[in-house]
Amino acid sequence: MDRLIYVAMSGAKNSETRQATIANNLANVTTPGFRAELASARAVAALGGPGMGTRAYVVQQTAAADLSPGIFQQTGRDLDVAIRGNGWLTVQTSSGEAYTRNGSFAIDSSGLLKTHSGEIVQGESGPLTIPENNRATIAPDGTVTAIDMANPTQTVEVGRLKLVNPPDAQMEKGLDGLFRQRNGETAQADPEVRLASGGVEGSNVNSVEQLVNMISTQRHFDMQIKLLTTAEQNSRSASSLLSLNS
Amino acid sequence: MMRSLWTAKTGMDAMQFNIDVVSHNLANVNTNGYKRERAIFEDLMYQNLRQAGGATSQQTSLPSGLYVGTGTQIVATVRNHSVGNLQKTDGPLDLAINGDGFFQIALPNGTTAYTRDGAFQVNSQGTIVTSSGYELSPAIQVPQGTTSITFAKDGTVSAIVNNNAAAPIQVGNIQTATFINPPGLESIGGNLYLETSASGAPTVGTPGTNGLGAINQGYTETSNVNATEELINMIQAQRAFELNSKAVTTTDQMLAKLSQM
Repeated sequence: MDRLIYVAMSGAKNSETRQATIANNLANVTTPGFRAELASARAVAALGGPGMGTRAYVVQQTAAADLSPGIFQQTGRDLDVAIRGNGWLTVQTSSGEAYTRNGSFAIDSSGLLKTHSGEIVQGESGPLTIPENNRATIAPDGTVTAIDMANPTQTVEVGRLKLVNPPDAQMEKGLDGLFRQRNGETAQADPEVRLASGGVEGSNVNSVEQLVNMISTQRHFDMQIKLLTTAEQNSRSASSLLSLNS
Repeated sequence: MMRSLWTAKTGMDAMQFNIDVVSHNLANVNTNGYKRERAIFEDLMYQNLRQAGGATSQQTSLPSGLYVGTGTQIVATVRNHSVGNLQKTDGPLDLAINGDGFFQIALPNGTTAYTRDGAFQVNSQGTIVTSSGYELSPAIQVPQGTTSITFAKDGTVSAIVNNNAAAPIQVGNIQTATFINPPGLESIGGNLYLETSASGAPTVGTPGTNGLGAINQGYTETSNVNATEELINMIQAQRAFELNSKAVTTTDQMLAKLSQM
């Protein structure tokens, strides 16, 4: 059997995986703070010794997430923040600290500041608790202030959000969609990171780019299928040449 | 089957839900005391198909892995409890809270519900009730022969009976309630909310004190839905739905090519 079919199959299989990555990016086109996945391909020489160097299989990989910022979407909520420029917000997960750009928070019944998916928001000195009957505001430097509704002149500084800014190359998206440092260490708080409150950062998925990628991947897939068909025709011609009846 | 079909499906599902939320907001653009809702999205789990750092030989390892995301979902709908416009109606029983707080309403089953809709009426027994006939709590009884009724900013209700302006009768006090986490309240329709473990227990007090908003007679609070914003959300959701349906079509065409091979 011609080994062409294995090479073409590796191409088709990997366009399928790439299509899944693109579909995931498109599905998250409105997810706050979402970072698009970058798909890339790598050649792996087909085993076969000398003389077979013309053939290589393709291996799909997710190189990294695109870390460019998304647009700011105003929501008018006190507890929505977006990061200006570079930086990350810190949340607690069962496997330690993780970082996110999704700054839409909520308060639970005990006053604890959490994300909508229930992870506790990490401050520079631990979780942040808003006292009862207080309104929380978040300053551009991440300072969380609680204003007593009964006496608006009475303000309490609850703490400061842990804002970090490790180098982009260090950041890696985990299986839960949150980011962590590649070396597994927790990042140091960076006093230079600035926030904008009253809104969230949108997804950075460029839908036009993703659509074009999707169409080109589809065409790529079609070409691999065409190769498989051609291989089949070649093999049929070869077997008819060898046939005793012809 | 191909992953992208299901991933795109989650996107279409989420956007359809988003349209539901937006259309509910638009439908309630004229509802007294309605608070707009917003859907919050989250990316789903990622599948690890090839671990970064996995060994490719005794000396070498993979420089980057292969992670494939499985789509998106709606994690929460969050109600924005900002005060709507206070609209002057001149109705003597139209009340609006300017600031924080909810009116307490006694449901027929004995539990207390909370509302921002202050368009009250009087029933056949002279009790102040909501448009659905549920009593305001604590109950306020309007005396027979009342010619005018006044609600003070602090919730004190007084009535002038039989045109005797010199001796107004105090008939009760309205108390309002606040919650530490108002978005945690459960909506039950009819402009009513119920306390949940997420909202925390109500703090009841006199309007106009301790951060509670003052009561304004002759006003109703309109919905805080911003029609422009909702329309933009609707367009965004529609386009995102289209993008995901395009992903389904593309995947389908790939599968068709495959089956025609």
